[in-house]
Amino acid sequence: MARMKFYCDPERCIECNACVTACKNENEVPWGVNRRRVVTINDGDEGERSLSVACMHCSDAPCATVCPVDCFYTTQDGVVLHDKDICIGCGYCFYACPFGAPQFPEDGAFATRGKMDKCTFCAGGPEADNSSEEHRKYGSNRLAEGKLPLCAEMCSTKALLAGDSDTISEIYRKRIINRSASVMARGVSYRDASFRAPYSAASKSSAKE
Amino acid sequence: MYRVSNLSQAGLGLKTGVLLWLLWLLLLPLETVADTKQPKGMPSTMVLNPAAELWRDVRQRDMPISGTTQVKGVDSGVLINANGDKWRKFRMQQLIPIGGFLLLGILVGLAVFYMVRGKVKIVGGESDRKLPRYTSYERLIHWFMASIFLFLAITGLIILFGRPLLIPIFGKEIFSIIASASKEGHNLMGPLFMVALILVFVKFVRRNIYQKGDMSWLLRGGGIIGKKHVPSNFFNMGEKSMFWMLVLVGSVIVVSGLVLIFPVFGQSREWMELAHVGHAIGAILMIGVILGHIYIGSIGMEGAIDGMTTGYCDLNWAKEHHDLWATQMEKRGEAIANEEVNRFSDPDTNEYLGRELREADK
Amino acid sequence: MIAQFIDGPLWIFSLSVFLIGVTWRIVTILMAGNRKDLATPRGSASAGAIRTVFTRSVYERSAATRGRLLLVAGYLFHIGLFVLLFFAQPHIDFIAERITGLSWTAIPHWAFILSAELAFLGLLLLWIHRLLSPVTRMLSDLDDHLGSLLVFLVMLTGCLALAQSFESLRLIHLLLAELLLIYFPFSKLMHTFTFILSRGYTGATMGRKGVNA
Repeated sequence: MARMKFYCDPERCIECNACVTACKNENEVPWGVNRRRVVTINDGDEGERSLSVACMHCSDAPCATVCPVDCFYTTQDGVVLHDKDICIGCGYCFYACPFGAPQFPEDGAFATRGKMDKCTFCAGGPEADNSSEEHRKYGSNRLAEGKLPLCAEMCSTKALLAGDSDTISEIYRKRIINRSASVMARGVSYRDASFRAPYSAASKSSAKE
Repeated sequence: MYRVSNLSQAGLGLKTGVLLWLLWLLLLPLETVADTKQPKGMPSTMVLNPAAELWRDVRQRDMPISGTTQVKGVDSGVLINANGDKWRKFRMQQLIPIGGFLLLGILVGLAVFYMVRGKVKIVGGESDRKLPRYTSYERLIHWFMASIFLFLAITGLIILFGRPLLIPIFGKEIFSIIASASKEGHNLMGPLFMVALILVFVKFVRRNIYQKGDMSWLLRGGGIIGKKHVPSNFFNMGEKSMFWMLVLVGSVIVVSGLVLIFPVFGQSREWMELAHVGHAIGAILMIGVILGHIYIGSIGMEGAIDGMTTGYCDLNWAKEHHDLWATQMEKRGEAIANEEVNRFSDPDTNEYLGRELREADK
Repeated sequence: MIAQFIDGPLWIFSLSVFLIGVTWRIVTILMAGNRKDLATPRGSASAGAIRTVFTRSVYERSAATRGRLLLVAGYLFHIGLFVLLFFAQPHIDFIAERITGLSWTAIPHWAFILSAELAFLGLLLLWIHRLLSPVTRMLSDLDDHLGSLLVFLVMLTGCLALAQSFESLRLIHLLLAELLLIYFPFSKLMHTFTFILSRGYTGATMGRKGVNA
C-alpha cells in the first residue's frame, strides 16, 4: 500500500500561495480556515525561505493521541483523517499538533469553535467516497478518483510534492543529486551553487520575535 | 553519510569514466577524498546541505522563530509548535495515569481509613441543645458552590478519563455524545464557579485567618487519630487549610479556565497549553481534597453535616470538635434546646423563623 | 421511532395542551369577574392597572434589605431565561420553523451563553434557598419543586446540547421542554401570564381609588 506524504522544497517554493488558494477552492473549506498556509522565514531579507505547510499526516500523530474522543484514524494510504461526527471541538489536537494543522471554523467566546477542520490529503472522510455528505463536511476526495491533492498538483515550481513517500523521496533525492552535481560541475560549494541566496543564521536577527 | 551519497550519486548523470572515478573515490576513506581535492584548489564539499540550518530553525531548536504568512490566525506564522509535544507528553504520560491513580488512591485510602477508624462518633452522645452554626445565606452559597463543583468535576473527569475508561464501555459514537455534552456543560457552567468562589471567599475569609492554637491542632494530628479531641476555633486548622487551598487553587483553575474558554484574545497555543496544565493539575488536586471534605462531611463524622443542612450543630459535637468556639457561644447563651430548633419545622409555632431571617440579613 | 414521536406527535400534543390550557386558565380567571364597585371613582382603573403591571417589576425597597443576593438572583433568572428563550438563534429558528413562520434578529452566540449562565446562576441560588431556608421550605409544595426541576432540566439539557451537532441531545432537550409545556398550565408556572392579571387587578382597584399602588 502507498504511504502518502507531503514534502515542500524550500529551495523551490516561491511563496505564490497557489496551494492555499487551490485547497480552499477545491475543498470549499469554511471561512476562517486555511488548511494549508505558506510561511516565509526571513521575509524580505537576503536568503528568505518559504514553506507550504499543512497536516503532514504523521505516522504517530499527536492529534490522534490526545483526542479525548478518539476521532482520528489513519487510512490504509497513511492519511490521517478525523470523523467530524465524533469530534467535540475541544481543541486539544490544535494544542498538540506540531504544524498547526487542525483549526476551528469559529473563534467565539465560551469556546464555541465548532468542529475541527484539517487537511485531508484530499481524501475526504469516513463517509462513502465522493458522497455529497462527505463533500459538505470534508471537501473533495481526489484520492478516490485516483488524483493527488490539488495543492501539490497546482504547484508551479513543483516545490510542494504529494504522493507515495517512496516516489516523493525518490524525486527529492534526484534533486539533491542534481544540486550536488552542480557542486561538482561548477567547482563551488553546495551553498554557492544554489541559484538563490543561501539561508543563513546571519540574517536571522530580523526574523526574531 | 550525506556527503557519501551525494558524491556517489552525482556521478550517475556524468560519463562512465567519471562514474568509475567516483566509485573509486567511494572506496577511499572520507578524509582521503578531502585531501585529494584540496591541493587541486577545489572548494571543499564539506559544507553540508544548507537546508539543515533552515530545518533547525524551523524546528525551533535554538530559539523561537516566527515567519510571515498571508494566512491570518493565531500562531499562523509559526511553522513548528515546539511545546505541543511537551504538552502531549504531560497529558498522556503524566496527567492521565498519575492523576487517575492519585484520585483512585485517595478513594481507596478513604475506604481503608473508614474501615480502620470507622465513623467518628460524638463521644458524649447527642446533647439536648444545639448551636447555630451557619446562616441560611452561608448554607446557600456553600451548596451553590457544591452543586457547580460537582457538575464541573464530573464533566471534567469524563473529558479527561473518558477515552481510556468510557469508550470501551459505550463505544465511540455514544461516548462522543456524552463528551460533547460534558464539554459544552463544562464551558457554560465554568464561569459560575468563579461567582461561587467569590461569594464563598468574601463570606468565609474572616473566620479562616489562621489563629493561635491552629499549630497545636496540626501537631496533634487534628484529633482524627486517637480518641482525644483537640480544641479549635470556628474552623479548625484543617478546614482553614482547605479553605485557602480552595481559594488559591480555585483561582488558578478559574483564571486558566477563562484563558481556555475565551480563545478570542489572540492568546497563542503556548498560553493555552500552559493554562490547560494549570487547570488540570489544580482540578485533580482540588477534586482529591474535596473527596476528603465530602468524606468527613458525610460518612466520616457524626453530626458534621448538620450545620450545613439545618444550620444548627449539636452542642456536644461542637464542644468536641470546635471547643473554643463552642464554649464562647455557650457562654453567650446561644445554645438552643433541641425542641425549639425542631419547632422550626412546625408551621404552628414558628416564632423562631423571624430570628432565622434576621440572621440571614447579617 | 422514539425520535420521530418526540419530534412530531408529542410536540404537537404538548403545544396544544400548553395553548389550550393556558387560554382556558386565563379565560376562567377573567370570567370570574369583579364585584361591582359602587363608590365614585377617584381615578382611572385601567391607567392604574397598566401602571402597576410595570411598576411592580421594580423591587420593593423594604424587601431589598432581606437577602440582596436573592433579589438579584430573581432578576437574573427571569431576564436571563426570557432572553435565551426568545433571542437565541436555535430557539428563533425552531419557533420560526414550527410555529410562527417568522423569525427575528438573534443575539450573538456569546450573549446567548451569557444569558444562560445568568439564568442558571439565578435559578440555582433561588432553588437552593427554597430548599434550605425554613420559611421557603415550608411555603413550598411539590408543585414548586417540580416546576423548578423541570425548568432546570430543560435548561441543563439545552446547555448540554449547545454543540448543536448531536441529534439525541437535541431530542432530550426537546422532550423535557415538551414535558414542561404539558405541565405548565396545571402549575404555578402559570404566573408567567397571570402576574399581569394579579398586578392589573390590584392596580385597577387602587387606581379607581386614586391611590398609586
